[in-house]
Amino acid sequence: MTNTSLIILGLFICAFCGFAVYDLATAKRHKEVYRAKSSITAYLMLLPSVALAFLFILLPILYSLGYAFTDYYLLKPNEIGFVFLDNFAELFKEISEKGMLYNAIINTVTFVVGVVPLQIGLALLLALFVNRPCFGSKIFKVCFFAPVVISLSVTAFLWEQILAPGEGGLLNAMLGMFGVPPHDWLRDPNTAMPCIIVLSAWQGCGYQMLIFLSGLSNIRKDLYEAAALDGANGWHKFWNVTWVGLRSTFVYILITVFIGACRILTQPMLMTGYMSHTVTLSYYMYNLGYTERWVGESSAVALLMTIFIGGVTLIQRRMFREK
Amino acid sequence: MDEIKNLPNFRPNKTPVKKTVKEVIYYVVGIVLSLIFILPILYMLATSTKSESAYAESVGTLSMFLPDFANLGIAFDNYKSVLVNYDIWKYALNSFIYAAIVIVLNILINGLAGYAMAKLTFPGKKLLSFMIIFLIVVPVETSIIPLYSIVKIMLGLKQEMSVIGVILPAAISIFNIFLFMQFFQNIPKEYEEAARMDGANTLDVFFKVIMPLSKPILATVAVFCFIGVWNDYLWPSMILPAADDGSWSLLPIQTALITIKSIEGITTGEIMASLVITSIPIFVTYVAAQKYIVQGFGTSGLKM
Amino acid sequence: MKKLLCSLTSLLLVVIMLFGMTACVGGNPDGTGDGDGTSTDKEGNTIVKIMFHVDKSSTEGQAYQKRIDAFNAAYKDQKIKAQAIFKARSAGASGYETELQNNQLEGTLADIITFDAPNTAAYASAGLLYDISDLISKDEQDKFFSLNMYNGKLYGLPIQESSAGFFYNKKIFREAGIDVGGYTAENPWTFEQFKDVCARLKAHGVTPVDMRLDATKDETAPYLLYPFIYAAGGDFVSSDGYTAKGYYNSAETAKGFQFIKDLITAGYTSYSIGATDFFTGKVGMYLSSGWTIPDLDNKYREQFASRDDWGLLPYPKGAEAASATGSWSYAITNNHHEDKTASLELLKWMTSAESSEAITTATGMIPARRDVVKNYAQGSPEYTLLKQLELSGRERPVTVAYPTFSTTFNQIIYGLGNGNVTDLLNNATNTLQDAMDKVKK
Repeated sequence: MTNTSLIILGLFICAFCGFAVYDLATAKRHKEVYRAKSSITAYLMLLPSVALAFLFILLPILYSLGYAFTDYYLLKPNEIGFVFLDNFAELFKEISEKGMLYNAIINTVTFVVGVVPLQIGLALLLALFVNRPCFGSKIFKVCFFAPVVISLSVTAFLWEQILAPGEGGLLNAMLGMFGVPPHDWLRDPNTAMPCIIVLSAWQGCGYQMLIFLSGLSNIRKDLYEAAALDGANGWHKFWNVTWVGLRSTFVYILITVFIGACRILTQPMLMTGYMSHTVTLSYYMYNLGYTERWVGESSAVALLMTIFIGGVTLIQRRMFREK
Repeated sequence: MDEIKNLPNFRPNKTPVKKTVKEVIYYVVGIVLSLIFILPILYMLATSTKSESAYAESVGTLSMFLPDFANLGIAFDNYKSVLVNYDIWKYALNSFIYAAIVIVLNILINGLAGYAMAKLTFPGKKLLSFMIIFLIVVPVETSIIPLYSIVKIMLGLKQEMSVIGVILPAAISIFNIFLFMQFFQNIPKEYEEAARMDGANTLDVFFKVIMPLSKPILATVAVFCFIGVWNDYLWPSMILPAADDGSWSLLPIQTALITIKSIEGITTGEIMASLVITSIPIFVTYVAAQKYIVQGFGTSGLKM
Repeated sequence: MKKLLCSLTSLLLVVIMLFGMTACVGGNPDGTGDGDGTSTDKEGNTIVKIMFHVDKSSTEGQAYQKRIDAFNAAYKDQKIKAQAIFKARSAGASGYETELQNNQLEGTLADIITFDAPNTAAYASAGLLYDISDLISKDEQDKFFSLNMYNGKLYGLPIQESSAGFFYNKKIFREAGIDVGGYTAENPWTFEQFKDVCARLKAHGVTPVDMRLDATKDETAPYLLYPFIYAAGGDFVSSDGYTAKGYYNSAETAKGFQFIKDLITAGYTSYSIGATDFFTGKVGMYLSSGWTIPDLDNKYREQFASRDDWGLLPYPKGAEAASATGSWSYAITNNHHEDKTASLELLKWMTSAESSEAITTATGMIPARRDVVKNYAQGSPEYTLLKQLELSGRERPVTVAYPTFSTTFNQIIYGLGNGNVTDLLNNATNTLQDAMDKVKK
């Protein structure tokens, strides 16, 4: 491993030098001026972070992506052989046979499509709600953030009690007062993903609320006054001033929530276990890599996910980039 | 104070009665919403006051959110046994020390990088900005296996060194570099230029001009570092040697809690009491730094 | 401020240098006196390393450490010294296995490791474990309730044993006028008698039995429920562990799952029984392992003041009797130490009657050896578990693809409420067969 790592380090340095030379060569065309002294200072400032990031982030990621082309089995780390694209063939076979991976893709897409608007919408509403100067709003702000920092095992257990089937479940008990018969929320394929979507949005939206709040605090007050002078009503003011002012915040939140949503793992793991109606891509990957010990194939899933998430992120950036 | 200045309008153009009604509605809605969001906290607090039987009785009913007022002595016993028998203050101290070191390193290492990326031009910058986005996007679930091997090879077999294996990987955060970068980009050039006129070099500018202007982002990064270190359990439990009696254990609080949870005979009430105790520092930090966090994100502009 | 910043910067530099140095020094972790296939310390003692899956500070860890200390005292003259490594499993299964694979990479695998019994096939076929068939005499092997066999070879010896059964609320049974005194480990009840008791409990107005159908997120449900399938005459995989078709989806296996489904259909058990319902007197019976005994003795005084209020019933039998077994085991590893004499001595020491006695006294579990005499009162829960283990204990299927088996078993139990047994079994069989074919390749 030490040797491979050194080779990768060498390649990394070569790639960096290549880019640097290219930058220098095209400096004129891009109207950039590079000064030796300031460049050296920059390199020195970057050195600690690049060294650590290389060792602890880039190198592990490259290894794990590289395993995608091997038959790495967790218990035989000394017998790793290249299998080229076999892992991918295996994965596509599973998709075409509508196996677990097929379910994982469908569920992940459902989750992302559901949770991204819900979580962002909730966060925005909460941010607008607490964005006023009074004592209460400060306390509310703290409360809304609470699920972000509470240990996941506690919240998962709590939701299990709320969604428990039969009359013992809190939600069923409450609906029972209105004559609704008890429902097995997590076992029913039609309600399981929606439940997980709601609880994930509930858990995460406090964080995005804070970011929206900071976006709101950046909108100049005179814009509202100007809009009021033009006779704008509440909705117009929101649309023309608040929303426009929140645009870059929104794009940032959209991208981060999207990336987070694609990686959903813990909630289905803690709520239902490895079941076809709630399995997600990350969970599939985890199960394949750790439980069934096929690190190679699991890495192939990771590689495909990276390409997919990266691609969508790029599209989002293009679409929403300010002109 | 900034918050008030920047608020969208809530102008007092309504009659006092209408205003009071609005206020009341606002508070009612706010309290109901807050209750929904602090359910887990209520559940933790309530359970930490219960004996095992009382807890078993309450599961699945609304009383799981209400403390057992009849036997408050049990609450006292739960907290006492957690603090006295399981020594969680020792582990909490460990976590505080780890967090302090990680915060300092994190701010220095990532702050310097963020500054270089935001304010300096140098050949090869494009590759690095691409890497930042790439590393934010890649799923990291499978990379813990190679990471573990790398750290083990790096540190060798020396157990005393394992602390470094906990701290160093936590000292680097691509996301924090990104936050710093965004924040620094929005600091007007004039500040730096004035300092440079006085003959300051880049490092001087960074420490004397930029850092003092960056309190909000420093607070944001510090708080999230703290929460991250405080809540992390998987990595330390893989890297650190297991608890050894007699000598001072190196385990941080959450890793120790997992071990404590599996102790035979521990009650759910005691587990919850320990969770309540370990949640307090996070809440205090968050409440104290809340204002800065909002500013930290706000002024950074956050362009992806 | 300036001084502070300066000192912080220098601290940073020092840390980075330190880190650079360790990177260089740590480059060759396996350096000291280990090259010739044995490991010795300065006094010439042969070092044997043994890795445990628990924390040293736990009761179980303490018990192991005491046995290791006793070993070192006893083997001082023979110059063998045991060293215990405690690697808590609290990080999850992945943590322990990541450590194992990393030890293989570095060549630092301990001489003896502990492992969960269902992993025998996977570990043995991966070449992790050393074949001890010829090193442990047949007489000695016969003394254990179960052995860690794979392909007819012995790879490990159990540390201790576990078994499960139906805990029941004697108060409820008395009120409902149900007498289960005749159902003992020696003479277990039948599937029909089990259903009959359920029917009477239901008529009495309580939920009859918690079959732990909600415990499908981990190994709990497979561990507690697999004996029903053996009891119905079914099976899971072929004896070589590479065929599931014709075993997992056989008619007898279906009968076993159908029995559980019947209990759901008849309203005797359900997915909605709360985890604590048995302890609050809402459920008549509760399927669980021996680890529930201390909980019932200590934690729920209001409901269960003494052992007059609760008891333990064995697994019911269908075509045959079967009950749950299995726990963690010891194995000698295939590491670079070619001379296994010292390791064997330690293995024998740790699995001796004396060690078995000491460890099970600390953990409250069942000894793995028949010759450890525990004086349990006839009819006591511990007695029932021990007797049941002796008479009808059957281990979980031995297959390299065990993790997949466990997952598919959970999926069957999870889907049993709404699904058709045949479809569920066919799906599970296909998944497991695919996994086995993949391993065989």
